Amino acid sequence: MCDSPKRGARTVLALQAKNLTVSARIDGAVVPAIRGLSFDLAPGKILGLVGESGAGKSMVGRAIAQLLPAGFAVTAGALLFEGEDLAQMAPARRRFLLGRAIAFIPQAPMTALNPVRTIGAQFDEHLARLGEDSRNDRRERAIAMLTAARLPNACALLGRYPHQLSGGMCQRVLIALAFSSNPRLVIADEPTTALDVTMHPQILRLIADMQRQHGTAVIFITHDLRLAAQLCDQVTVMYAGRAVESGPARAVLSSPAHPYTRCLQLANPSMRAERRALYVMPDQMPSLRQLQNMSGCHFAPRCPLVTEECRRIEPPTVAISAGRMVACIRAAATSGIASAQRPVAAPDISKRPVLQVEALAKHYAIGRGLFATAHTATAVRNASFSIAENEFVALVGESGSGKSTIAKLLVGLEQPSGGRILLNGEDLTDAAARRRALAAASIQMVFQDPQSALNPRRRVASIVTQAMEAGSRHASWDERLARTRELLGEVGVAADLAARLPGQLSGGQRQRINIARALCHIPKILIADEIVSGLDVSIQAQLLNLLARLRAELGFAMLFISHDLSVVRHLCSRVLVMYRGEIVEQGPIDAVFDDPQHPHTRALLSSVPPDAPETAWSSLDPAVPTE
Amino acid sequence: MIATVVKLMARRLLAAIPILLVVSALLFCVLRLLPVDPAAMSMPPTATIAEIEVKRREMGLDRPLPQQYLIWLNDALHGDFGRSIVFRREARSLVAATLPVTIQLALAAMVLAAVLGVGGGLVMFHVRGTLFEPLADFVSILLLSIPEFLWGLILLFVFGVALHLLPFTGQVAPGLPLPHITGFLLLDALLVGRFDVFVSACQHLILPAVALGLAFSPTIMRVLRSSLFDIYHEDYIEQARLRGLSEGHILLGHALKNASLPTLTLAGVQFGILFSGTLLVEVIYSYPGMGNLMVDAVRNADLPLIQTIGLTYCVVVLVINTAVDSLYVLLNPKLRVR
Amino acid sequence: MATAVSRSLRSPRVLIALGMIACIAACAVFAGFIAPHDPGDQNLLSTLTPPAWAAGGDQNYPFGTDSLGRCVLSRLIYGARTAMLVAIFASLGAMVIGSVLAHVSGYFGGALDWIIGRMVDVWMSFPPVILSLILMVGLGVGLGKIILAIILVDWTRFCRVLRSDVLIVTRHDYIAAARLLGFTHWQTIVREVLPATLPLLITLVSLEMAIAVVVEAILSFVGLGVAADQPAWGQMIADARQYVYQSPWNLLLPILAIIFTVTAFNLLGDGLRRSLDVRLAEAGR
Repeated sequence: MCDSPKRGARTVLALQAKNLTVSARIDGAVVPAIRGLSFDLAPGKILGLVGESGAGKSMVGRAIAQLLPAGFAVTAGALLFEGEDLAQMAPARRRFLLGRAIAFIPQAPMTALNPVRTIGAQFDEHLARLGEDSRNDRRERAIAMLTAARLPNACALLGRYPHQLSGGMCQRVLIALAFSSNPRLVIADEPTTALDVTMHPQILRLIADMQRQHGTAVIFITHDLRLAAQLCDQVTVMYAGRAVESGPARAVLSSPAHPYTRCLQLANPSMRAERRALYVMPDQMPSLRQLQNMSGCHFAPRCPLVTEECRRIEPPTVAISAGRMVACIRAAATSGIASAQRPVAAPDISKRPVLQVEALAKHYAIGRGLFATAHTATAVRNASFSIAENEFVALVGESGSGKSTIAKLLVGLEQPSGGRILLNGEDLTDAAARRRALAAASIQMVFQDPQSALNPRRRVASIVTQAMEAGSRHASWDERLARTRELLGEVGVAADLAARLPGQLSGGQRQRINIARALCHIPKILIADEIVSGLDVSIQAQLLNLLARLRAELGFAMLFISHDLSVVRHLCSRVLVMYRGEIVEQGPIDAVFDDPQHPHTRALLSSVPPDAPETAWSSLDPAVPTE
Repeated sequence: MIATVVKLMARRLLAAIPILLVVSALLFCVLRLLPVDPAAMSMPPTATIAEIEVKRREMGLDRPLPQQYLIWLNDALHGDFGRSIVFRREARSLVAATLPVTIQLALAAMVLAAVLGVGGGLVMFHVRGTLFEPLADFVSILLLSIPEFLWGLILLFVFGVALHLLPFTGQVAPGLPLPHITGFLLLDALLVGRFDVFVSACQHLILPAVALGLAFSPTIMRVLRSSLFDIYHEDYIEQARLRGLSEGHILLGHALKNASLPTLTLAGVQFGILFSGTLLVEVIYSYPGMGNLMVDAVRNADLPLIQTIGLTYCVVVLVINTAVDSLYVLLNPKLRVR
Repeated sequence: MATAVSRSLRSPRVLIALGMIACIAACAVFAGFIAPHDPGDQNLLSTLTPPAWAAGGDQNYPFGTDSLGRCVLSRLIYGARTAMLVAIFASLGAMVIGSVLAHVSGYFGGALDWIIGRMVDVWMSFPPVILSLILMVGLGVGLGKIILAIILVDWTRFCRVLRSDVLIVTRHDYIAAARLLGFTHWQTIVREVLPATLPLLITLVSLEMAIAVVVEAILSFVGLGVAADQPAWGQMIADARQYVYQSPWNLLLPILAIIFTVTAFNLLGDGLRRSLDVRLAEAGR
């Protein structure tokens, strides 16, 4: 194990990037994926790299390990770890540092451990490499680290396999592994994104505690601005491979200097402030290919403060105060950017319920076999709620809470084990009525994952008008093209994309097509299953505004399933909170969020970082004991 | 852990019994559809029609088909599988004499196939991304395209006829005694202490075993290579690299262990197919195993013998598949522990 | 679909394989024009003559003659016809039965899946060689009977492999979405599932053709294949085996013919698998 430098002599920076440039060969030209990135990370500090997908933040982590994807290489600048350039280092030296002085916490904990080896075996392998020779010592150390990661019953855990652990527990094991060598630098790449929302504060707190304990410098990669404000000391905001702004976290995020940072803030729905239309940046971040042909500031096409000069020359990085840098010539005007739109008008909600659910239940029989007894697993238990015309109701809960099951029960993809579903007064649990309802297209669903929800072999025009192809309804191709044009216009997709395949569209465009398909024959009620999860904040803002506009124009109710409370607060008027198959709390959103009754609702609310960077997040407070 | 595996094997074997019943019934029916009269065949040519009729009634051939099957089943459960019409011996004893020979051949071939397959797979994986990759790939497809009976003929011609290096007829050189204790000649020769018999038996085993082994190794090669390829794209391999483990350590400690699962399963299934492939190789090399017996039985429409041998093949394959399934559960923690 | 076809045609494997298959198909179709003699013509005066390039060879018989004085080259060419007929019809037949049952089984699940699955289990517990032998005993010799026997034995392989693919495809949300939009089961299977499983289907057909050629050769070799007067490669091998000392070429040439044909189909199957499966094509496997 490496010795940490003495406490007094901490002059060497843990990590320093000097004009780092990572480029790739695309179509014969050299295109930079990261350009001129510079930052200083002092020992024991946390630096947040914030940005949307494609900004290049994960590429920094890979550059540190020199495990860049094929075709990518460091073409200029330096990345210094305690004074040594990682890019120029001999491979043997670099491999020596990895796992010892430099450790990684991965994004997807469940797949980051070898499924056919026990936790103990993998820990043992890691510690053996670090130099622990005695098997007993290794075992003791493993147990000590796992206990420090707040994993109960560490001894028994050593004999378990990864698939027996939950996502949160796997991540704790990985954090324990990372910190077991007393590293001087840890890179955490979106460590909570793949986990349930209520796990987030616990994992973040664990990382923060471990970091404090070992005095490690941390690079924290995330897309969540508010999270970075709470956790990090320094923050660097990245856009299209370039650092557009950097400085102390709280300062940057309470008064951003770069227009992009400000727009990103305004695109985030808030938990406390008055509802307003979200700020929408048009289009999306340029891809590597598009960057080739761009001159001037890369944010110019989307910037509200753009001028001619912005488009001509790329803005230099200037210091605006102690420790704060920004790459924008119009930085002074940034604070003037605001959502100029009116606050979202409260929609008319009629008294008539379009959907009524009474005591809905769903049980699954598992473990049936010749010699095994049958168990029943209850996915949904005694769910009762109603949705009125034009009302947007949110259904929140974690994975496994039963929200997707309710969605499937409502549209008829699963059969309820008990209870009734009434759509416009007709009982849907009867099969014939369900067919009539489908035929009348009264209820439709928008699925979560557009990769899986759109047939990759069908063209856009064919997908959005797929409903016109069904059953005995045979619409002519002309009718379908006309309707396609209408629908694409409504969801804000350019009409010339009608001939494309889903694989040729961006994530946001695919989701719009998904929505358009469900709206082909305008339903009375739409079930939206996590349709904005996993999308970038700016794309998410576009879609949320789209949904609000569509409701105003077309008129339909929606059951909006999500785990993201701020999104839900922005869009919906009522909320249903699900926990382990039951609806534990329901009511108007403001009432429930301001004064939550059920402990699970409280847990969900405390998992959301506060809007304002100045407010301390109670979940991260070391004084507050963890459960 | 042992308890779960034993329980699983017991469950599978019990589930295999109805399969066996259905298989034997199907075999029975298919064979009864033949335009062949077992009664007439088992009587000397001078028999009169009346005598044949008596024989028919004696053999129960005038009864309805389901009843005939039940009679056969009842007899079989008591160990009586009928008499071979051609050899005029109990079918059971014929099978008992030839089954060990076939098993010996199959095992030897499987060992060869495994060694060649794993070695070849590792080589193919090693050359990925280099210029040798398309060559290695083409060679493996070529090998895949040569079935065991063609290998048998080619090896017979090259090493037996043209080069006179190895013998290609029978199990041992003529004139040597055949000790019979377990039925496995190699083992028996060692037990009796006759090394000359042992050496001769080995020599006679080489060509047929190599023919079978060469025919079945390419599948193992290709599945090992593609499993390794898939595994190297998994997250945990990248994480192992990020923890600083060397490439050699990753291959031996992580990748191979994970790749062994699909490879072993496939090798197990292949063993079943290999076992049935012994038939042709035995014919080509005049090897006195069950396959040769089957061909004789089929050529002479010897129904009881065909039924018995067919059933034996099925039983062996079912046992192999059950063992492979259990091995898979044993090796895969996701199935073994909840 | 068009992009998939063009991608396949750019793959070197596919092109080479198609070239090889074209040669064999040409022999099969134009046998009457290419073969120098009638394959059944016996010339008992010049039996077991060596090929034209060896000592004692006759220009009249480029590849020599067999034990009954029949021209080996002609028999090889006409044998290609037998092989191709078996390959095409047997694999198509197995494909039709296997894929229909696989789609029904994978899409509907439940009891139907269980029944078909058990049927496949029972069928597959018969080693294929043994089963085809027994079937031929029951059915009798002849080209049509061979095709029928291969279909009856191998549909299970199609069914099992395709079923896993159908299960994966059916799990995608767009299948559920189609049902929600009002598609009937039939419409969903034909318009949504089948186009997705088509690449695997085509690959399996190609591989099945390779297997069919081998099985036909095996059956002819044991004497349970085509009728004695029809030329088949397996039969040529069985015949030549008895006279391997006198004329080794009579054994080697049909063996090479079989290897050539089977390699062509395997190469085609492998090439198609790589170019039609979009995921594999992207990963460069």
